Amino acid sequence: MALRAEPPDGGWGWMVVLSAFFQSALVFGVLRSFGVFFVEFVAAFEEPAARVSWIASIGIAVQQFGSPVGSALSTKFGPRPVVMAGGILAALGMLLAAFATSLTHLYLSIGLLSGSGWALTFTPTLACLSRYFSRRRSLATGLALTGVGLSSFAFAPLFQWLLSQYAWRGALLLVSALSLHLVACGALLRPLSLAEDPVVGGPGAQLASLLRHGPFLRYTVALTLINTAYFIPYVHLVAHLRDLDWDPLPAAFLLSVAAISDPVGRVASGWLGDAVPGPVARLLMLWTTLTGVILALYPVAQAPTALVALTVAYGFTSGALTPVAFSVLPELVGTGKIYCGLGLVQMVESIGGLLGAPLSGYLRDVTGTYTASFVVAGAFLLAGSGVLITLPHFFCFSAPTSKPQDPVTEALDTKVPLPREGLGED
Amino acid sequence: MRSLPSLRGPRPPPLPLLLLCLLAPVRRSSEDGRTPAAPFTSLPVREEMMAKYSNLSLKSHNISLTEHSNMPVEKNITLERPSNIELTCQFTTSGDLNSVNVTWRKGDELLENNYLINATGSILYTQYMFTIVNSEQMGSYSCFFEEKKEQRGTFNFKVPELHEKKKPLITYVGDSVVLMCKCQGCFPLNWTWYSSNGSVQVPVGVPMNNKYVINGKNANETRLKIMQLSEEDQGSYWCHAIFQLGESEEHIEIVVLSYWVPLKAFLAIAAEVVLLVAIILLCEMYTQKKKKHSDDGKEFEQIEQLKSDDSNGIENNAPRHRKNESVGQ
Repeated sequence: MALRAEPPDGGWGWMVVLSAFFQSALVFGVLRSFGVFFVEFVAAFEEPAARVSWIASIGIAVQQFGSPVGSALSTKFGPRPVVMAGGILAALGMLLAAFATSLTHLYLSIGLLSGSGWALTFTPTLACLSRYFSRRRSLATGLALTGVGLSSFAFAPLFQWLLSQYAWRGALLLVSALSLHLVACGALLRPLSLAEDPVVGGPGAQLASLLRHGPFLRYTVALTLINTAYFIPYVHLVAHLRDLDWDPLPAAFLLSVAAISDPVGRVASGWLGDAVPGPVARLLMLWTTLTGVILALYPVAQAPTALVALTVAYGFTSGALTPVAFSVLPELVGTGKIYCGLGLVQMVESIGGLLGAPLSGYLRDVTGTYTASFVVAGAFLLAGSGVLITLPHFFCFSAPTSKPQDPVTEALDTKVPLPREGLGED
Repeated sequence: MRSLPSLRGPRPPPLPLLLLCLLAPVRRSSEDGRTPAAPFTSLPVREEMMAKYSNLSLKSHNISLTEHSNMPVEKNITLERPSNIELTCQFTTSGDLNSVNVTWRKGDELLENNYLINATGSILYTQYMFTIVNSEQMGSYSCFFEEKKEQRGTFNFKVPELHEKKKPLITYVGDSVVLMCKCQGCFPLNWTWYSSNGSVQVPVGVPMNNKYVINGKNANETRLKIMQLSEEDQGSYWCHAIFQLGESEEHIEIVVLSYWVPLKAFLAIAAEVVLLVAIILLCEMYTQKKKKHSDDGKEFEQIEQLKSDDSNGIENNAPRHRKNESVGQ
């Protein structure tokens, strides 16, 4: 297969965007809507809520910690077989869960098996997407990630309907069938050979070189700080509003307002990231700082209109920082090492994600209000954006550096096969 | 005592009045906040009854009517335990109070004693006192004021009702299910379960065996666990809450599905996914073959052209021809 010097920036890339859209819907949409099953499991297994919520926690943890495995495998075999295998695993986990007779079965089937399936799908797909685009990378990523928000809207009522028709066992069977579509999405990921691929070597070598790469490490630290804090409002906003004597229904409604402005922010930021010249890291810093400021303002806002305005702004800025966060990585490490890079980043930043909500809850228990939680979250975000300033070329105003650090153009001349060579001897 | 022609207060015989004065302190324990507006002299109630039921609580209820009330006025009262009851109706009219005929009825049956009539200004009051100790005494008690039109006020006594109807429970063959009935703020003496196919209700769970287990964590709820479900277990189930004053029931429906029902949908969707994957991969192989074929085609033409360099006489294009001539000589 011919090696390309440049990512195609379109063409089949848009099919990859479509595939990534459905995958983020099927992975994160399912995870986020799983709360609907929560009530059923509590009743069916007669277990307390805390033990049942471990199912989703195990699934998320396995998905994030397993990301490097997915990345390493896709570097070796290409994204397509890895994602298709991941889809089969995820569907298999749900299928086995339909026959569960105890909570432990659910921990193993949904948490471990489906979680590993999800680990093998999401990260390789996003990395593949980054390889297919360079000029329109942020827009493509933003469009693909809107799948998460839209599917949360669609899947929650769908799952509720499935539960009313088939009870939880039948509903899990059908969610498993839904997850099988991940295999079809994986089939869309045509492998792409880029110029720098032969140079960067196999997964082991890539991991080693990444761990010595200064900017990559700083970027990972920044993303961990950001991940610790940026979704705190989704976790604690409703409780904070109840503390301010809001009724439960308007409080939940406010959260869905944030969920609406989130995909808008993603697409807008994606377009902006491609339109504005210069390193994308600057835009990431902008959105992160804005989100941090908004979070710090939450304790100050008391009037309902101020809270609504803050929440709309929060949804927009927190959605806006996701596509650019993914776009910074190829600029740092190059599209050749993108699989391994993305896997490592996901694994490390998930530590932040796991610690963020409990930390915020602990602060609330100690101080009595959510003021400290929101302010500390804002501080984490500002710290993360501060680390971003240290990335290379941050203050450069020259042409965009979307090419990797070590372009290898000579590889093109020596590697392209020429059947004509054999003919000349005739 | 029926309605009196002149209604300037009751005219009971003096002896019961004396008795009542003695018993008045015992009676004045009103639990209900609603005390009647009009001051009544004590009712001529049988002495033994008051002594026997003096440890029961007293519940008072009130209905107001006017001559212009279009619809009968009703009040629903929930009663769980035996109690002393005091019912008061007041009737406001512009006409002559003397011409109003006052009666009390339980259902359709006319009540003969134990009610009192009084008039103050233009308002006519009547009060009926009695005790409810068993389920026959529950029902509807009405006060009637007959003037030109008959005005009626009704007190409906019922035992506490259980929750509203729930959606049918979906279960699968071989699975187990827990049916629950709960009474809000009331404590039945006992619970029983029945299943019904059609109109006949058959007791369930007595005696307890491997299939049915009845237990309840508190007095106000009961759970029926049915194990090893089969298609015959499908249908309606009833839980009865038994009170001293009657029974209350709730209906739960179970649907038993076989695994085949969702499995069919699963296999259909899985087949669709396989089809999608096949289409995607075949499309890709086809476009690659076409590209390769066109590449091969170009190479094939060049092979032909080069071969024609050696074989004389075949003229393909002019440059070759010239080259041929120069080499071939």
